[in-house]
Amino acid sequence: MSHPRSPASHRELRRPGPPWLADRLLRLALRSDIEREMVLGDLEEQLPQHGRRWYWREALAISAHALLRRTGTTGDPRRSGDAFMYTSIKDVRYAWRGLFKRPLLTLTVTATLALGLGANAAIFNLIDRMVFRPYPLIDPDRTVLLAETGPRLFTKESVSLANFLDWRTSAGTITRLSAFQWWDANLVDREDPERLPGFFVSSDFFDAVGVRPALGRGFVRDDETFGRHHVIVVSDGIWKRRFDGDPAIVGRTVTVDGEPHQIVGVAPPRFAFPDGAQIWAPISFDPQKPPARQNRSLTVIGRLKDGKTLEDAQAEMAVLADRLAREYPDTNRDYGARVYTLTQGMLDEGTGPLLSLWQVSALVVLLIACANIANLMLARAAERRREIAVRIALGAGRARLIRELLTESLMLALVAVPPALGVAWLSLRAIRVSMPANIMRFVPGFESLGPDLRLLGFTVGLAVLTACVFGLLPAVQASKAQVSEALKEGGRSSTGRQFLRRGIVIAEISIALPLLVAAGLGVLGTNRFLNGPQGYDPDGVLTMKVVLQARTYPDGASQRRFVERALDGLAAVPGVEQAALINNPPASGSNSSRAIEIDGHPAPDPKNPPTVDNRLATTDYFSLMRIPIVSGRAFTAADREGAAPVVIVSDSLAKKYWPGEDPVGRRMKTGKSWMTVVGVCGDVIQDWFNRRNIPTMYRPLAQVPTNYFGIQVRTAGDPSVLAGAVRQALLRVDATQPVFEMMPMRQALSERTIGLQYLAAIMTVFAVLALLLAAVGLYAVISCLVTQRRHEIGLRIALGASTADVLKLTVGQAFNLTIAGTAIGLVLSIALSRLMEAGMLGVASSDARVILGFAAILIASALLAGYLPARRAAAIDPMIALRAE
Amino acid sequence: MPEIYLGELEQIVLLAVLRLGEEAYTAPILEQIEAQTGRKVARGALYTALERLETKGCLRSRVGDPLPERGGRARRYFKVTPAALRALKDSRLALLRLWNGLEQIL
Repeated sequence: MSHPRSPASHRELRRPGPPWLADRLLRLALRSDIEREMVLGDLEEQLPQHGRRWYWREALAISAHALLRRTGTTGDPRRSGDAFMYTSIKDVRYAWRGLFKRPLLTLTVTATLALGLGANAAIFNLIDRMVFRPYPLIDPDRTVLLAETGPRLFTKESVSLANFLDWRTSAGTITRLSAFQWWDANLVDREDPERLPGFFVSSDFFDAVGVRPALGRGFVRDDETFGRHHVIVVSDGIWKRRFDGDPAIVGRTVTVDGEPHQIVGVAPPRFAFPDGAQIWAPISFDPQKPPARQNRSLTVIGRLKDGKTLEDAQAEMAVLADRLAREYPDTNRDYGARVYTLTQGMLDEGTGPLLSLWQVSALVVLLIACANIANLMLARAAERRREIAVRIALGAGRARLIRELLTESLMLALVAVPPALGVAWLSLRAIRVSMPANIMRFVPGFESLGPDLRLLGFTVGLAVLTACVFGLLPAVQASKAQVSEALKEGGRSSTGRQFLRRGIVIAEISIALPLLVAAGLGVLGTNRFLNGPQGYDPDGVLTMKVVLQARTYPDGASQRRFVERALDGLAAVPGVEQAALINNPPASGSNSSRAIEIDGHPAPDPKNPPTVDNRLATTDYFSLMRIPIVSGRAFTAADREGAAPVVIVSDSLAKKYWPGEDPVGRRMKTGKSWMTVVGVCGDVIQDWFNRRNIPTMYRPLAQVPTNYFGIQVRTAGDPSVLAGAVRQALLRVDATQPVFEMMPMRQALSERTIGLQYLAAIMTVFAVLALLLAAVGLYAVISCLVTQRRHEIGLRIALGASTADVLKLTVGQAFNLTIAGTAIGLVLSIALSRLMEAGMLGVASSDARVILGFAAILIASALLAGYLPARRAAAIDPMIALRAE
Repeated sequence: MPEIYLGELEQIVLLAVLRLGEEAYTAPILEQIEAQTGRKVARGALYTALERLETKGCLRSRVGDPLPERGGRARRYFKVTPAALRALKDSRLALLRLWNGLEQIL
């Protein structure tokens, strides 16, 4: 409109149109077409006279009028008292003053709510950060994860390199298609060799996740060519820590996995995708030799093209996978392709349900808190009966009264929001600090835990909801006040309300018990994991891992040489009693298994032979770990390369495949070689979750060399003291060979069960909160009862009732409520413990003693809560109580 | 026919519409009220009153020709119904009777 026109141009053309936003607002506010047309026309007609500011002012005022008209409060003058806004502000002021008039009630409610809301806020933050947006630097809406789907329906499989390359050339809905694969990089620079969590990635990786390297470049297609692939990108952390933040780092050559690599880029700060990666190198292949199609080991990500949806991509990939299945039936038949959002695709399956369990528990705690507050509000409403009755008598509307009382509840809830956020912040800090760093890297989003705007929104929303839950019942109850009855002199409370209050206490107790039982089972299970019999002795053992570099140790002979020299070097360290190696130490999270054949007992289905866990150990392993040899012998130095192949079997293996016989002297086969059983050893717990007392065979490492293993060292005292000396001894064997995850065996056990420890700890906090709140609730009810029955109790004492009689009367009431609540709670607890038993892989076993024990604890605390006010009742002076009338 | 109850603002609006005759649409109604009573009425309140009066059967409206200065929209002209006229008359008579004899005091 502001084009320079001829001077004679019409005024209308230069006239500015109505403000767009104000126009939208009016259209929204005005429902009737006729009226909308009229209003918009009127305003536009007078716009040139008054200007845009006027238009805005009028639009806002008219919209407000229209909205109020629609809510009906300014409708019929005979019905409405004051305007809605006006009375609301009055309510808020009144409630605000009320908060300060009863500081003790306000404080109690605020503290209760702060704990309940805070617990929920903390868990919400966990879910929000870990499940909904775990990758802070990556655009979650456009980044997708692609997977192959296996022959069984909906199994998510990794992608083969050949399929990935075909996808990359054909996909039209997804751009920047990029693959990555796990890589344990061994970086050698001026300092010690260091094993770094790394990933092999294809050329578009950084573009796919939408991240630009802070220095240098990402990878290009040329880097993927075998022979030109010795380039790396390092993380911001590595750059600062190992290279002192050298700005001229790009172009420098370092040794990685024994070969020179050129640093081409530095990732931006905080970027550690995927799985806490700190170093990235290109996936490389020889363009002349097509890569194998059946070897599926890649994870593939990409970005949706603008305007394309997940469904478009899914449809295209389905067609593409179908085409590949027809072209390469040998490897691709029955394989499909599926597209996920990145967050969904990367999510660990167990995380969601576990976090939901926590959120449900937190909500139960909040519910108990609500029940308590509702109880307090009921008591307060009872005090205000007279006031409310007078107001009703003077013509106050019931809806108006309920609204006023609800406003009061709302104010109480909102006042609790800041302390609740404080509670959440403290809990989140505690959760983050107690998580070991080497586990935290696998939990995306964990590092960014902390309060934010979404948390604030959630907490305020929950507070409002809470206010409705705890405020509505008392408000409705209070507004029902019977005028004539309440105004009568000395009117006592009706029994109906007492019934309600007792019901609330029974409900509180009945849901506190299952929480206690769940927490108790969790704690007992965890304790059993950490301190129960493991099948070996973890005390005084230092454990560590080694992955031999393929360049230096290409064959069995060189690997054997390393093992021998390492064992010699370790034996020479003062304080080391014994040293031994095994491919998969217990509590290491790793495992390997092999198919076997038992001599004289052919497998019923030759295509599907039995498999057992496969262990390769050095001579001293059994005595070091104190694993008992049940029959036969342990390994000796004679069980070496070239000697007759031997095997030691675990007790469970012996019982399963040679039931009722002694297996020593029998033969079994794995791969091509027959081995003679020379001994039977005790079973161990390899992993508490899924590898307890699994049939296992042990073979001498000297006869079956391997390039990865754990080293165990038994020490005289505290194993962590020797960590430095042990590392030095191994570096003397090979200065470029990294040793990682060195820690006492006890710590390894603890880290394997860290999730369960978290579960138990958090559930315990919730359970204690629930117990406390239920006890406080009972206390309040009994206390109130005593106050209301002062007169009657005084009379009883005057007539000769003893202290014991009075105690029996009041504690008896507490007892009845507790027993009723516990009975319901017991039923719930049994159901819950069955559920836990089924859902937690036998971690928790429902134990009647545990359930009954917690019921006893609950009853005891409830009786204590009931006893305190009862003592007050017994101390009533009859003269004073009766005179008060 | 049930008696129509008229609030103060409603009476003012109806009288303004009557005074304007054929030219009674929003802007002149507002001007008329302000000029005659010296009181400024919120535009939103006027719209509310107009809508209610029409639902109550006190006003009827017709739509004029589309006008370019209104963004192609038409003006909406209002007319007082006979029922509303009766109600206004009743109200006036009642007030006059009440005023009768009070001239000296006020």
